[in-house]
Amino acid sequence: MPIEVSNPPVVDVKQESQDPVYFKIRDLAYQACGIYHSDEKMYLLASACKRRMAQSGGQAQTVREYVELLTNPSKRDAELRGLMNEITIGETCLFRSQPQLNALHNVILPGIASERGKIGMKKLRVWSAGCSTGEEPYTLAMFLLEEKEKLLKDWVFEIQATDLNDRSIEVAREGIYGDYALRNTPALYKSKYFNPAEGGKLQVRSEVKARITFTRLNLNEDSRMVFMKGMDLIFCCNVLIYFDLVSKRRVVQHFYANLLQGGYFFLGQAESLFQVNDQFHLIHLPGTTVYRKAPIEPVKVGQP
Amino acid sequence: MSGTLREGLKKRVERLRSLPSSPAVLNPLLDLLRLPSEKIDLKKIVQLVSYDKTIAAQCLRMANSALYGRAKETESVRAAILSLGIQRVEDILLTCCLHSFSKGAKWGGDSAVFWRHSLGCAAVTNELALRIGYPDPDRAYLAGLLHDLGILVNSLTYPEEYQSVLAHAAQAGVPLDEQEIVDLGFTHCESGSMLAAMWQLPRPIQEVIRHHHALDKAPAGNLLVPLVHISDLLCRMRNLGYGYEEWRGVELARNSAWEELAKEFPRLKNMDMARFTMDLDAYLPRVQALVESVFASNVEQTEPSACR
Repeated sequence: MPIEVSNPPVVDVKQESQDPVYFKIRDLAYQACGIYHSDEKMYLLASACKRRMAQSGGQAQTVREYVELLTNPSKRDAELRGLMNEITIGETCLFRSQPQLNALHNVILPGIASERGKIGMKKLRVWSAGCSTGEEPYTLAMFLLEEKEKLLKDWVFEIQATDLNDRSIEVAREGIYGDYALRNTPALYKSKYFNPAEGGKLQVRSEVKARITFTRLNLNEDSRMVFMKGMDLIFCCNVLIYFDLVSKRRVVQHFYANLLQGGYFFLGQAESLFQVNDQFHLIHLPGTTVYRKAPIEPVKVGQP
Repeated sequence: MSGTLREGLKKRVERLRSLPSSPAVLNPLLDLLRLPSEKIDLKKIVQLVSYDKTIAAQCLRMANSALYGRAKETESVRAAILSLGIQRVEDILLTCCLHSFSKGAKWGGDSAVFWRHSLGCAAVTNELALRIGYPDPDRAYLAGLLHDLGILVNSLTYPEEYQSVLAHAAQAGVPLDEQEIVDLGFTHCESGSMLAAMWQLPRPIQEVIRHHHALDKAPAGNLLVPLVHISDLLCRMRNLGYGYEEWRGVELARNSAWEELAKEFPRLKNMDMARFTMDLDAYLPRVQALVESVFASNVEQTEPSACR
């Protein structure tokens, strides 16, 4: 359910989004769902609010009335959820977060490769939690197949992709995408990992699909969460915004437990684990941040 | 750094002092910087700013830029000073002086990258200072602005050599100071502090210029050094660096500068650093716009409508 800029900002929305009342809505959205709009992204929030206002059946004609809706105890929860749906409207695409892939390529994977190389365990387990219609896990699979030709030669990797929504999982298994979803996909990947499909669309090839296991999973279901063990990398981008703070903490605790020591946890570009979890270590990388579970301290030989 | 190397560098830095392009207001301005704030008077600053028409025009353009959150156009130097505060005008004036001082000279790198990093780091250091409750955020701005003075020095004194330092650093994705040691035998911290000493910049600022990469040698108690160190790191991780990416992961909470700051300013420990980092992305377009409008050499220099 990643966020996407679908339309270029209209100038008046951009100016209007500087109205202090939108900063109040920003705080509300952040407190309730943990999703944060930087000043440069305020126009996205403003356009989402406008779409909700249009759907409110006259209940909110001005943005001030809309804030009242968002703060009214009996209507707040439903409206916040509606607003979050509007913000995260499923306009996702493949190769969406290049800074994350760059960080993996230049820093994270070389680190894992050199650590694991020492013990000869050449296996990588990845989990795309809340994979929606498959754009993220396919991106990761193709990216890792490329790495397998160089840095991760002789390595095996597997990707678990889960989502709550049955229909999303079905679409994901098909792996057919149009121009819009493929707009960030480099030509090399298009020719190497896709076959032509109906209507000018492209379908992911079977060797890429073979790397991914798609399953329906509710992140709130503790009994199933405990079986997702042994992960090196977990991606959960723009999904936790749908959870209240208590369940967010519980879900993130599961992610933490499911990661191997030294494993990495990726959130969406506007999300933060602040006040959700303090066990993860926040790591800054060029253009992105990532959370890491502390690695095992090396045992010094000759010391008790 | 060896003795001969130090002597050679020093000679080159001394030659910088007498650059013909050095603006006439630079020295009185540097004198002003050394005064305690209560001794600075508005009239003197207005006089200084208005002395050089090119610099006055640049100052106004900077004062009106989005980076300083200006909502209304300021037309006179006096109005700009009143709305921005004397300290900020001094910073702006100093920036314009340094720019015009280095404009005619041959650069080792891209001067726009230098200004983007310096202005970006100044804004970030100021913001971080405000958020953690550092008592003098204006000083923090100045420290961020001048911390890489040595890059300017290196660019002007060793233009050819510095070009290859920058190219090597970008290719390897390593911090600039590490590459400088390999290629030059000294870092911008050392060369920058030579010029800072000649200019007799305030001591805490000199210490920032000298120690912002090597914190273990910094004198205890000057918290501007760790403050600038952290802001500098954040800038370099967020597209406001030296024009290339440094490929490494940085854990701020385990950084000695961070620990030093957190001891004095507990608010730092309760800050949402992921969110603060996202906020920094908003600086990039503003800094970029400012650099393009003020420092791009092809911009037509217009005189301000009024220099009262």
